[in-house]
Formats: sequence, C-alpha cells, structure tokens
Amino acid sequence: MTKTKVNKSVAEINDRIRRGDAVVVTAEEMVKIVRERGEVEAAKEVDVVTTGTFGAMCSSGAWLNFGHADPPIKMQRVWLNDVEAYTGVAAVDAYIGAAQLSETRGFEYGGGHVIEDLIRGKEIEVRAIAYGTDCYPRKELETIVTKDDLNQAVLCNPRNAYQRYVAATNSRDETIYTYMGTLLPNYGNVTYSGSGALSPLHKDPNYETIGVGTRIFLGGAQGYIFWEGTQHAPTKAMGTIMTIGNLKEMSARYIRGVTIEKYGTSLYVGLGIPIPIINERVAKTTGISDEEIRTDLTDYGVPRRERPILKEVTYAELKSGRVEVGEKEVPVSPLSSLKQAREIAGTLKKWIDDKKFFLAQTVEGLSTDQVFKPIKQIAAAPLAKDLMIREVVTARPSDSITSAAKIFAKRNFDHLPIVDEKGKLVGIVTSWDIAVAVGTGKRRLSEILTSKVIVASENEPIDAIARKLETHGISGVPVVSTGGELRGILTSEDLSKLIGRRRR
Amino acid sequence: MTKKVLLKYSAEKAKEPILASIIKETGTLMNILHAKFDAEGGEILLAIDAPDAEAKRVIELFEQNGIETKELKRAIQLDDEKCFDCGACLSLCPTGALRLTDDYSIELDEDKCIYCEICVPSCPVRALKVSKF
Repeated sequence: MTKTKVNKSVAEINDRIRRGDAVVVTAEEMVKIVRERGEVEAAKEVDVVTTGTFGAMCSSGAWLNFGHADPPIKMQRVWLNDVEAYTGVAAVDAYIGAAQLSETRGFEYGGGHVIEDLIRGKEIEVRAIAYGTDCYPRKELETIVTKDDLNQAVLCNPRNAYQRYVAATNSRDETIYTYMGTLLPNYGNVTYSGSGALSPLHKDPNYETIGVGTRIFLGGAQGYIFWEGTQHAPTKAMGTIMTIGNLKEMSARYIRGVTIEKYGTSLYVGLGIPIPIINERVAKTTGISDEEIRTDLTDYGVPRRERPILKEVTYAELKSGRVEVGEKEVPVSPLSSLKQAREIAGTLKKWIDDKKFFLAQTVEGLSTDQVFKPIKQIAAAPLAKDLMIREVVTARPSDSITSAAKIFAKRNFDHLPIVDEKGKLVGIVTSWDIAVAVGTGKRRLSEILTSKVIVASENEPIDAIARKLETHGISGVPVVSTGGELRGILTSEDLSKLIGRRRR
Repeated sequence: MTKKVLLKYSAEKAKEPILASIIKETGTLMNILHAKFDAEGGEILLAIDAPDAEAKRVIELFEQNGIETKELKRAIQLDDEKCFDCGACLSLCPTGALRLTDDYSIELDEDKCIYCEICVPSCPVRALKVSKF
C-alpha cells in the first residue's frame, strides 16, 4: 500500500466518538462529500461512514441451546414448529437454517420464520427424537419454548452482505420462479439485490478496515464479523462475510422470515458496517456512487452454472426502476429494501453519535484474493446433444394430411416435427391432430400444426429438460439450434433410461 | 375517483353491442380492465373515470340493458405493517399500480389495479391481499 496524506487510527476515532466530536456520515452523504471536496479533504473531515443493507440472505441461521430435560435426551433430530434443525452436535445444541422448509406448511413457513418468531418472543413448539443411551435414556420430547427459555440463541450466518450481486432477467417464453424472484417471460422484467452505494463491503473493497472482529449492526443489535463468508470472491467484487450476534437482542424490524415464490424460504437480514476513515484511500472507496458500481445483467432462463451475461448495468440504472434490455425498457424490482438499508445506515450513525456504539479494531484481515471455485464433479452432467435422437422424420407445412398419416402409420411415434425449407422448426403435429384433421376435412399440415412448441437447446442439461417435461406434462421435446433449426428429438423414454442407469 | 364496475353478461346479452352503445350515448370514457367470455356468457371489469353522477348514469344504463352490475370497493390491500418495501412486486405489476416513491417506499394506487393478482404470491411476507368481489 502506498503512503497516505491522512492517517488516523481506530483508537483515535473512538476517542473522538467518546468526546462527542466525531464526524459520522452515511455512505450516501459521503458520496456527495467526496465528489465535492475530494478524498483527502473528505478523509480529514469525516471519521466514520455508516453503511446498510437489508436483503434476502439464505445462508443464515441460529445456534440454539435448549438445556437438558429430565430424564435427559441426546436429540438425534429436532423440529421447531415442524421445521427441522441440525443436531449433529452435542445433546441439546441445534442449528436452525433459514432455508429449511416446514414439514407441514412447505414454502409458507421455514427456518427464517422460526427465527423471526423467536425474536418476536413467540412460543415455539419443540419436538425431538433420539435413540437413547445409558447417559441420555429419553427417546422423545415435546415442549414449548420462547427465546427466554433458551440458554443461547445466536444468529450465526455463514454468508452475508454480498458486496454486490448480479441482476436477473429471463429469456424463456415462460415465467420462471428463482431465488432472484419471479422473472417474467421474454425479458419482461429485471430483478437485482444489494444496496449499491450503501452496500457495506463495496465501501471498503480492499478490506483495509473490515476484518475478523469488526463490530457491526446485525438485526438491530450489535454483532460481529468472524470470518470471510462462504463463496467470498473479493477479486470479482463479490466479497461476503460470516456474521454472528445475540438473537435475543435483535429486532424483528431487521430480521424477517420470508417466502420466495416457488423457490423456498429465506431470511431478510438487516446489516450495517461502520467504516473508519483511516486515510484518503478508504475515504475514496466509501465515496463510490451508484453510477460507479456495475454488475452483470444475467439470463436466469438458462439453467446452467455459467448463465449468459446480456450486458453490464450500474446500480444507478437499476435504482431508476427501468433498464433497457435489447430493444425495450423493462421494469425493475429491487428485492432488497433500499428504504431499510438507508434506515440502517442512519440508525448506526445515530448509535455512534449517541456513544452507544464504538468501532472495533480488527484482529485479522479478510482474504483479498480468495477465489470461488465450482464443485469438483467426477462425471459431467449429460446435455441434450449427448442423448437426443438425431435421425428425425420431419414434414413441411405444405405437405398433405394424408402423407403425414402415412408416416405415422409406418413408424411408431407420436410427434412429427414440421420444418421449413431451411430446416427451421415451425411447429409440431401429433397423431391425434391427424385423426381430428381427417375427421374435419382439413388438407394441409399448415392448417393443423401447433406453432407454439416447447423446445430444448442442444446444450441444455438433461436435468433441466426433465423438469420441463414434468412442468408442461409433455412426453418429448424437439432439440433446436440457437438459430431455431431442428437438430434432434428427445423423449421422456430416452430420459428415463438414463435416469434408471444413474440410480443403479 | 375511478369507479370499477363488474358487468355480468348472459349468453344472450353477450351478442349485443351494449358497451359500445352506452359509450356512444353518454360519451363517457371507460376502460376495460379485464374481460372473459365463453358459451355461458361472461364478465367485463370496467373502470369508469367520470364524476359520480355520470358514472351512476352509466351503471343505470347497463342495468336497463339487462346487464348485472356490481361496483367493486377496496379489492386490493397493502398491509403497511407487514410490508418492508423490498419491491419484489414492483416489476411484476403490469399497470404501475405498485410503485416506488422517492424515499423508496412502496405505494399502491388502487385506481390503476386490474386485479391480475400476480403480485400477491410474489410478496415474501404476504403483505398484499385481494378480497374477492
């Protein structure tokens, strides 16, 4: 790191907070200050910049300790309001994860809701089973607890506060339901997450002040960063943190259990980090604006790990509520609450002004070069092109019904793809369509073909196609190139053969 | 204030140009928010943007023409206690009835709502409710 003109220590800043003369501003205010006066003046003037975010953070949960029953039980499995918690640790410790679904209410209630209900002081039904040991003879337990009955209730989140996240849209001609929300067909909308200029980790992307031991705003209480988050990818501006805090002190205003439509449950976590302005380099990064924070607009219509990137967008564009996708301008949903993010930054500022919150000196830095790797797979997942039948009998729209009837008579199949002179798929005709056509005196295939055909692409994974067949209740799909030319056909029969092989 | 009226047509009445003739007669601006017809008749959800007296006359004319009418009131509600302004609903609303204010609050303009209900299940905390008419 190069030498800086302004140099302040965290201890000096804490002294100023104690004396009541520290200058604390929110990240939004800092953007203006740095723009108007430059980072050196800003670093001299400002001591702390507060940040905030309030978004869905699925990688969240809580450690709970129930205390011992009499006779005691070594909980093998435990449920809270029918949501299972992990008990593969000591007898009465359990971890309730935000994304775990209720066994009776499905998507409507999950671990996130249990955590919110605990914070609200509601009664929670606890049910546990065990195999019984000499020291823990009990095999079943049913009781009702509130947070006050628990020894510890600690929010402990493996991955929070993504520095930024990709924006999502959908190229498919059907609505899809994702962890990025409901995505309308044909690029009908865009969703994004993260608070942009208020985003905690984007304000110190070099991790000069944020590290192990940083005291933060977590769910309305004071919590801590205790490690880098899982999937931490600082070189891609996708850093994350692990956070911890006392759930019993938190507020349900800043911790909300949620249902993401047809995806699952999650937890909205309110989180803010105070950034000590120790030099002008940090002042500069805290002054980064929405216009300067870019992210990739990504096609979630493609169910692959590497989803196609359509373009780059800034958080300023996203926050404007409309984004251009191709030819059209489409509406945007922010998923994370910008209003609450602003409120959190404001609350944290007030805590510091009121001398209720002091900055913590980090005990260890966070990695600045960690890479997020994909899972090691020992077998590649098969794609449509690996399994499809390439020799497909086709017909033209101008062909007669009788000629098509002959094809069906000769061969044992149900679907006849119809292609134009260039081999482009224009529709499909089933044996049933032919029977109806004969009955109603139709002559050409063009009169009866179904032009809206569910298709697969050559590089589509078999698992995605199986889901497609299931969702639409169909028994096969034509496989087409990106240009729409027919390349092959894939039936549920072909798929079940493969899946049968996998299970063995 | 926009009045929303649900018109119920019998199969017989569906054949007559009643809506068109009432528009022609009164010159009142009306907008079809939703319409559905089948062999047994159907219904039209109409928004009438006119002073009360004029809207009342339009409704009377439908009644005189043998169309069952029902005025809709407070059909969609946003529970401000539950809503935390995440905005998941915003981009799904086809008419802009749900919008983000300058201070990033979610606001519902009921006049613009066409009751498509796409926003209802998208709300992560079930803050949007449509009461059936």
